[in-house]
Amino acid sequence: MRNAVLISLGKVLSNLSLTLNLGSGSTWPGHFALKANKHFIKELLEKSNTKIILVAGTNGKTTTATLITEILKKNGKTVFQNATGANMLNGIASTLLLNTNKEGKLDADFAIFEVDENSFTPLLRELTPDTVVLLNLFRDQLDRYGEVNSIVANWKKGIRALPKTTTLILNADDPEIAYLGEATIANVAYFGLADKALGQTEFQHASDSLYCPDCAAKLTYSTRFFSHLGIWKCPKCRLKRPSLSLEKSPLYPLSGIYNMYNTNAAVLFAKEKGFTETQIKEGLKDFTAAFGRQEIVNYYGKQIQLFLSKNPTSFNQSLRTIKELGAKQLLLVLNDRAPDGTDVSWIWDADTEAYLTPEMKIFISGDRCYDMALRVKYTQKLVINNDRLVIEPVLQKAIDDAVTQTPKDETLFILPTYSAMLETRKIITGKKIL
Amino acid sequence: MKRKLTLGWLYPQLMNTYGDRGNIIVLTKRSQWRDIDIEVKYLNEGYSAKELQSCDLLFMGGAQDKQQQIVAKDMTKEKMKVLSEMIEDGIPGLYICGAYQFLGNYYKEADGTIIEGLKIFDLYTENPGKDVKRLIGNISVDITAENKSLQTMVGFENHGGRTYLGKNIQPMARVVIGFGNNGDDKTEGAVYKNSYGSYMHGPILPKNPWFADLLIQKALEKKYKEKIELNKLNDELELTAHDFILKKIS
Repeated sequence: MRNAVLISLGKVLSNLSLTLNLGSGSTWPGHFALKANKHFIKELLEKSNTKIILVAGTNGKTTTATLITEILKKNGKTVFQNATGANMLNGIASTLLLNTNKEGKLDADFAIFEVDENSFTPLLRELTPDTVVLLNLFRDQLDRYGEVNSIVANWKKGIRALPKTTTLILNADDPEIAYLGEATIANVAYFGLADKALGQTEFQHASDSLYCPDCAAKLTYSTRFFSHLGIWKCPKCRLKRPSLSLEKSPLYPLSGIYNMYNTNAAVLFAKEKGFTETQIKEGLKDFTAAFGRQEIVNYYGKQIQLFLSKNPTSFNQSLRTIKELGAKQLLLVLNDRAPDGTDVSWIWDADTEAYLTPEMKIFISGDRCYDMALRVKYTQKLVINNDRLVIEPVLQKAIDDAVTQTPKDETLFILPTYSAMLETRKIITGKKIL
Repeated sequence: MKRKLTLGWLYPQLMNTYGDRGNIIVLTKRSQWRDIDIEVKYLNEGYSAKELQSCDLLFMGGAQDKQQQIVAKDMTKEKMKVLSEMIEDGIPGLYICGAYQFLGNYYKEADGTIIEGLKIFDLYTENPGKDVKRLIGNISVDITAENKSLQTMVGFENHGGRTYLGKNIQPMARVVIGFGNNGDDKTEGAVYKNSYGSYMHGPILPKNPWFADLLIQKALEKKYKEKIELNKLNDELELTAHDFILKKIS
């Protein structure tokens, strides 16, 4: 079928799906378009001048993509971005399809796509991006993505084929990501952190790339910011963290060290595109969190803040940030559905030891609430009284109980996995997102 | 007299995938709750055979392939000999996934390459290749070893390799739900003297606390050469978690 026909059909399908309330219809049209024409994406893009920006990595995709979108929009560019749940080929095809004009053509200046780890290389076979931003690789959903090493090997295949005209923005502080810069003729630029005061000495367990990506010797770090991110070098083959094109943003709209990385990535992108410091500040200053990521919601007169926590690193970083914010009331929600990963063993790779304190009141809910409760019970050096640990499998009830017991001037911090975040948001905002 | 145990964690930085650290945490906490002094020895690459020898209880977890190659290099003949002697001597240990395979006779990769194992456990493992599905999912088993009649264990498995047991080793358990050693013969794991090999992550110990206690008890009995009975702990939460997942997958 011709793409023009597929686009019209796709739009009808999407409207139908919206009307019948079958969700936002974000991946169905793309699913059909790709079924009918395997190279739907490629052929649609060949006839357009829209620049494609891809953002990939375990953590921070949505925030970084949204930051980039905001900077571009505030500076008069026309932009569209895929929804979080639409980050595989189907979703990207759908997003493209639904953003064509009446003539079935793409006319926006930029399209920003966050891309699922497993879809990155297949997508590069269908399109040539203007810019690729690679954020990090942490252990995440081993049942679905496999081990970090296998993702790197796969990404390398895609990176190798990039032309000189593509800009590749890499996190210099993540050894495996930084090393991808050696595998390409694309224009490479590195971001990272340089302020050693941000480094930490606390033991962080779940580090995946502590070995040299080239010679496999153990790396040494002069500073570790978190997990395996830091100022690294290999004592054996002398490979080291590449020098940075950008280490600091003029402003940081979100708290947490992980958001400094996300912001630096977006700012480096903007600099590469020729935006000035003033334009970048303008783009960042009114930025509010992407949903579920440090998002603040008022619920029955109490303040709730959501910190999506989907793997050991994001859980650690959420805990670190809320501890810095003085958290006393927590609700941890652990699900094991497809979007979360069915293997919940990752909670044992998180360092609850470093962040949970006996003063915290901890509510626990979700499909695997008892697993999470055990993780808390077995937190070393922490003795939690039974009245400070409340397990409630029913999420609505857990939220209501936690909110009721949160004093008026305090915040309830909710740390959910992905599907738990959607569910929580539905309860506290009354809206369905996907 | 306060009793003391040294728990040797083999390759904590290299072999620690899938939350296997949880096993160390559980062994530590359950010893401490009983006022047993427990020291965890982190046997990272470069440790000496002597350090290994000083341990009363051993643990080794799974790993990514790249990491496993580094381990193979670090396992000198001397270290292999010591580990083999300790296992033969009845030093209790828990070996999960990659470690379990590593103790066997060999591991045959998808392309036919044979990686020699430590040949302590009479078993071998073969990876049927990328086109054959990995064995992934929740698993429940009935323990056949230890005469623990009707004792159930729950966990999560995720492995490409299929393991087949030889004549000189017993399976640890019979698969009720899931795949186990190879997805065919319903066996899961292996027991040799006081050493246990298993594909069960989850990690295995938090939701199967009696198994953690068995390892602690055996380590103490071996060290102090007397019959040991451990104090009972309040395992209400552990057993709720165990029963909950068992019900969910059954």
